[in-house]
Amino acid sequence: MTARKSGSRLETELERCRSECQWDKIPELVRQLSAKLISNDDLGELLLGECKLQTYLKENPIKQGASPRGPRPKLVEVRKHLTAALDRGNLKADYLQEASLLMAKLCYVEGEYRDALGHYSRVNMDDMQLVGAPVYRLSMIAEAYATKGLCLEKVPAVSPSLSNKNTSSPMSNRNTVDREQEIITCYEKSGDIALLYLQEAEKVCLVIFFLMFSPICALPSLSDLELGYFLETGLQRAHVIHFKNGNLTRGVGRFREILRAVENRTTQSLRMTIARQLAEILLRGMCEQSYWSPLEDPPTVSPLDDPTRQGQAHSKNYSLSRRPRVYSGENLFCPQENTEEALLLLLISESMANRDAVLSRIPEHNNDRIISLQSASVVYDLLTIALGRRGQYEMLSECLERAMKFAFEEFHLWYQLALSLMAAGKSARAVKVLKECIRLKPDEPTIPLLAVKLCIGPLHWLDEGECFAKMVIDMGEKAVEFRAKGYLAIGLVYSLKATDASLRSTQEEYQRKALGAFQRSLAQSLSPTDHLAAFYLALQLAVSRQIPEALGYVRQALQLQGDDVHSLHLLALLLSAQKHYHDALNIIEMALSEYPENFNLLYTKVKLESMCRGPEEALLTCKHMLQIWKSFYNLTNPSDSGRGSSLLDRAIADRRQLNAMTLPDFSDPETGSVHATSIAASRVEQALSEVASSLQSSAPKQGPMHPWMTLAQIWLHAAEVYTSMSKPAEATACTQEAANLFPTSHNVLYMRGQIAELRGNLDEAKRWYEEALSINPTHVKTMQRLGLILHQLQRYSLSEKVLRDAVQVNSTAHDVWNSLGEVLQAQGNAAAATECFLTALELEASSPILPFTIIPRAL
Amino acid sequence: MLAMDQGVVEEWLSEFKTLPDSAVSNYASSLKDKGALVPALYKVIRENYSDLLEPVCHQLFEFYRSGEPQLQRFTLQFLPELLWSLLSVSAARDPHTSGCIEALLLGIYNLEIVDKDGQSKVLSFTVPSLSKPSVYHEPSAIGSIALTEGALANHGLSRVVYSGPHLQRETFTAQNRFEVLTFLLLCYNAALSYMTSTSLQSLCQLSSRVCICGYPRQHLRRYKGISARLTVTSDFLVQLITGIHYALCNGEVELGSKALDDVLYRAQLELFPEALLVGNAIKSSLHGAALKSNNKEGARSIQVEITPTSSRISRNAVTSLSIRGHRWKRHESDAALGGVGIPEISVTGVSGERMPNGDSLRLRPDGDTLGAASEVSLDPRGHDSSTRSQEVRRQKSNNKASFLS
Repeated sequence: MTARKSGSRLETELERCRSECQWDKIPELVRQLSAKLISNDDLGELLLGECKLQTYLKENPIKQGASPRGPRPKLVEVRKHLTAALDRGNLKADYLQEASLLMAKLCYVEGEYRDALGHYSRVNMDDMQLVGAPVYRLSMIAEAYATKGLCLEKVPAVSPSLSNKNTSSPMSNRNTVDREQEIITCYEKSGDIALLYLQEAEKVCLVIFFLMFSPICALPSLSDLELGYFLETGLQRAHVIHFKNGNLTRGVGRFREILRAVENRTTQSLRMTIARQLAEILLRGMCEQSYWSPLEDPPTVSPLDDPTRQGQAHSKNYSLSRRPRVYSGENLFCPQENTEEALLLLLISESMANRDAVLSRIPEHNNDRIISLQSASVVYDLLTIALGRRGQYEMLSECLERAMKFAFEEFHLWYQLALSLMAAGKSARAVKVLKECIRLKPDEPTIPLLAVKLCIGPLHWLDEGECFAKMVIDMGEKAVEFRAKGYLAIGLVYSLKATDASLRSTQEEYQRKALGAFQRSLAQSLSPTDHLAAFYLALQLAVSRQIPEALGYVRQALQLQGDDVHSLHLLALLLSAQKHYHDALNIIEMALSEYPENFNLLYTKVKLESMCRGPEEALLTCKHMLQIWKSFYNLTNPSDSGRGSSLLDRAIADRRQLNAMTLPDFSDPETGSVHATSIAASRVEQALSEVASSLQSSAPKQGPMHPWMTLAQIWLHAAEVYTSMSKPAEATACTQEAANLFPTSHNVLYMRGQIAELRGNLDEAKRWYEEALSINPTHVKTMQRLGLILHQLQRYSLSEKVLRDAVQVNSTAHDVWNSLGEVLQAQGNAAAATECFLTALELEASSPILPFTIIPRAL
Repeated sequence: MLAMDQGVVEEWLSEFKTLPDSAVSNYASSLKDKGALVPALYKVIRENYSDLLEPVCHQLFEFYRSGEPQLQRFTLQFLPELLWSLLSVSAARDPHTSGCIEALLLGIYNLEIVDKDGQSKVLSFTVPSLSKPSVYHEPSAIGSIALTEGALANHGLSRVVYSGPHLQRETFTAQNRFEVLTFLLLCYNAALSYMTSTSLQSLCQLSSRVCICGYPRQHLRRYKGISARLTVTSDFLVQLITGIHYALCNGEVELGSKALDDVLYRAQLELFPEALLVGNAIKSSLHGAALKSNNKEGARSIQVEITPTSSRISRNAVTSLSIRGHRWKRHESDAALGGVGIPEISVTGVSGERMPNGDSLRLRPDGDTLGAASEVSLDPRGHDSSTRSQEVRRQKSNNKASFLS
C-alpha cells in the first residue's frame, strides 16, 4: 500500500520534472523508481535516455540554419538507453511511443534523417492523444512533428522506388508539391501543439503556485520554459516556407493563427516579432481591396500569391483533436481593413517594446539598449506609416511621445515627434522639440525652417522666428538650396514685425530690413523659378506704397506661377491702388474662376463691385458667399465636430454656448493678418484650436472657430454694403447675424457705430466706437470714426489725440490723415493741417481698395 | 505611333461596344491576355495629341462605370500616367488642354465619392484601442495603459473619418485640382496589389517629376520635360508616398527609392511635416531590410526568417518593466532609519562591486526573469532551491544595502 502510494507520487514527481525540464533531478528519481519494481527498469532506461539527450541539447544547442553534424560520443549512451527501452518491449504503449519519438530525435541530432523518418513511421503520430495528455508529452509530440518536418526537408523529395517507376516530369512535380504540403502540415501541427503545450504548462504551474503554495514549484521555473530549437522551428518554419514560396495568403493566415492563440510568457517575444512582421506585410504588401479580415476565409484567388505557383492549397487541410485556446468572448474587436489590423498589431507590439525599454545607461548595457531601441524604432516607424496614411497625427504624436524614453540623443525619434506635433497642430510644443533636434543636428537647415514656419504662422513668435531664420542663413555653403528660403523667412519675420510695430520709426526700420531680405532671397534663388521671393518682395513694396515697382515684381511672380492665388490678389489690389478698378475687378474675377471658394478674393470683389458696379451687384456677391459657405461647411468632415452632424445643424444648437464663451476675436476683415493687439485676444482661439484640431486630418489647420469667423465676416461685409446704400434697417439685421456669433467682436461694435451714425445718433455711435476700442485699442477705422465724431461734437483736442494715435498705428491710412487735417484746421493750426492734407492726398493716390496686408504671409 | 499599336487599340475600342452585358465579366478576365494592348494604351496617353486619346479616355471611363472590379482596375492602372499628363499640360500652360483626360479623371472622382445609392461616401476607419479586447489580445495582459487625453477620447472604439464627404466637381480649378487628385490616388492605393509593375513604375516616375520639376535637382535627374514648378499639397505627397512604399517593397527598388528621395526633397523645401513624417519613417524602416529587385513579374520581396523567441535583452538590464515590477523598500528603510533621508535609488540595480557573482548572472540564458520574477514573487516564503529567486532577493537586499549606506 505504502509502496504503491509512494510509487504514484513518484510518477507525479517524474511527470512534473519532465514537464518543467528539470533534467538534473531525473537520475535520482529513476534510482528511486527502480528500487520499487523490476518492471520499471525499461521506463528507467527511457527516462535516463531522455534526460541525457535533453541535457546534451541544452549544453550544445542547435543553431537555426545549422545542420547537425554526425554522431557524438556523448550520445552513445543515450542510444544505449533508448535501444534498451525499445528492445525489451515491456513498456506500456504510451511509453513505447515516447521512446520511439526520442529515438527519432536522437537520429536527427546525429544526422540520420532516414532512420529518424523510419522511427516516425512506426509511431502513428496523428493518433497520439492530445486530450488529457501530460504536459511534457504535448511538448514531445510538438517536437516530433517539427523534427519530422526537418527530416523531410533534408531527405530528397523523390524516394528511389518512385523515381524508378516514374520519371516523367509532371508526376514528379506533383510529387514535390505533395511533399512540400506534407512538410508544411508537419510544421503547422507542431506549431499548434507547441502553443497548446505552452498554454498548458503555464496553467499547470500557475495552479500549483497559487493554489498549493508549493515551495517546490517557484515561478521562476516558468521562464525556464525555453522553446529550444525544435519548438522554435515548429512555430515558425511553416510561415517562413509560405513566404518563401510566395504564398502570402497562407503565410498571413498562419501568422494570424499564432497571434490569435492566447499568449503566455514564453510566446510574448515571438508574438511581438510576428505581430510586427504581419503589420509589415499588411502595410507593404496589401491594399484595401486585397485584404480579408482575420475571421473571414481567405479569397481563393489573390494577387498576393505568386502567380507562377497556382494550385497551392489556400487553407490548412488537417485537424487536431485539441487546439490551442484562442482569444474569444463577446464584442471582440476584429479589424476590417489592412491599416486597422496593422495598427492594432503595432499597438500590441509597441506596448511590449515599450516594456522592454532598457533604461540604464551604464556601458555594460549599451548593447541591450541598442537592441531595445532598434526593435522599438521599427515599431514606431511602422506606426507612423499606418497613422500617417489615415491622417491621425494627433494619435501619432501621443504614440511618439511614449517613444521618448528611448530617445535620449536619438535624432530620428526626436525629429519624428516634432513633425508629428506639427502635423497635429500642437505648434508650441513642436517648436520646443525642434529646438532639441537642432541641438542634435545643427547643420540641417530644414529643422530651423520648420520652426520659423510655426513661429510666423500659428504662434506669431516673431523674435524666436528671427533667431531660427538667422540660423539657416548662417549655415552658409552647407545649405545652398535653403539659403533663399532662409532669407525669405527672415524677411517675413521683419515684415510681420513692421505691421506690429507701433512706432513709425521702428516700422520703417523693419520694412527696410524686410525689403532687403526679400531682395537677397530673390538673388539667392539659384534657379529663377521660385515665385515666392518675387511675390513677397512685391507685397513688401506694395505695403510701403512703391506701387510701380511692386507691379513689376508681381508680374514676375505671375510669370513663374500663373495661377498663384496670392499673386493674383496682390495684382488686383495694386491695380486698385492705381484706381484701375475695372481692371482690378477683371483680375479678381479671373482669379475666382480658378479659386471659386476663396473668401479673401470674394471680400475684395465685394468692395470693388460696390465701387464699379453699384451696391446691388455687391449684395449679390454677398449672397453667393453665403451659399458657398453653406455648401462648404455643410459637408464638413463629421469627425471635426465629433458629433457627426453638419455644422449648419449645429449652428442653432450651439449658439447659446457660443455666446456664453468669452469669444476670441476673428482676424480683422480689414487688415487681414493679425495685428499685435488682436493677437492677445486670439490667444484663446489658438488654445482652443490646438485642443480641438485633434481629429482633423487634412491640411487646413484652422481652429474650429474658423468657419464661424468666415460667416461673421460675410455678414459684416453685407452690412457695410447696406450702410453704403443708406439702408440702416438691413444693415442692422446683418450686423445682428454677426453679433449672434461674436457679440464682443470690435468689428461688430464698429459696424453698429456706423449704423448709429447713419441714423444720426452721434452719442450712440460714440458709445459703440468706445466699446470697440476698449476691446481692440488699435483698430484704426474705429479711431478714425471716433475722431470724426469728437470733431463734430467740437471736442477738438480729444479728437486730435485719437487721430494722432491712429496715425501712429497705421501711418498709411489716408482718411485718418484727412480727418486729422480737418481737426487741426478747426483748431486754427493751418500749417499742420495743410501738411496733413498733403499727406492724405499723397497716400490716397496709392491706396488700395483693401489694405495689402489682407494677403496672408506665411512660409 | 505604329500602325500595329493603332490597330490593337482600335480593335479594343470596337470590341467592347458590341459586348452583351452578360459577357462583361468574361471579357474582363480575358483582357490581361491581350499583351500588346496595355503598352499601346500607354503610348496613346503619352502622346497627347493622338486622335485616339479621346475615344480611349471615353472607353476607360465606360470600363470604370461598368462597376466590374476587373474593368475598374484596368482603368486604374493608367491613373499615374493620366495624372502626369494632366499636370504637365497644366504646368506648361499648353493651350491644347487635355479636356478628355480631365473629363475622365473627374468622372472617376464623381463616381467614387458616392456610394451605390448616390449618397456622399464617407471613408472611415476604426482606431483600435488596447483597452478593448480584440482577436489578438486581452486588455488585462497589456498592463497599464497611459491615461492620456487621446486614450480617453478613444475609449471604446471610435470610427474616425479619413476622407469625405466630398463635393461633386464639374471642372478642375487651381483650388480643387489637388483635392480631386489626392482622392484619386487614394482610390489607386486601395487597389495597389492588383497593379502591374508598369503601373507602379509610372507612379514612381510621376512622383519624381512632380516633385523635382523646376528645382535644381531636375538637372541631376536629367529630366527635360517641363521646367515649371508644380504646386503640390502635403496630402497629395503622402498619398504618393503610400504608393511608392508599395512599389519599393514589391520589386521596384531602384525607381522607388529614387522617387522616395525626390518626394522627401520636395517635402523639405515645402516644409510639409506630414509628408516628411511618413517619408522618413519609410526610409528608416527599410534601412536594414534588403529589398529584392524584381526579376520576374509578380515576384514579391516579402520574406521572413526564423527569429529566436527568447528576449535578446539581457536580464539584468533595467527596463521599464523591471522598474514597474520593482518594489522599492522605501517604507522599511524609512522606518529603520527613522525616516532619515531619501533613499538613493540605484537604477542600475546590480552594479559590479556589489555583486560578487555578477558574472554568473550574466551567463544565464536570456529571458525576462528579473522583471518577471520580481513582479510576481509576492510570496516571501518562496524559500526554494532555485538560485534565480535568490538572485532576485539578493538584488533587493542590494538596494536595501545602498539605502542604508
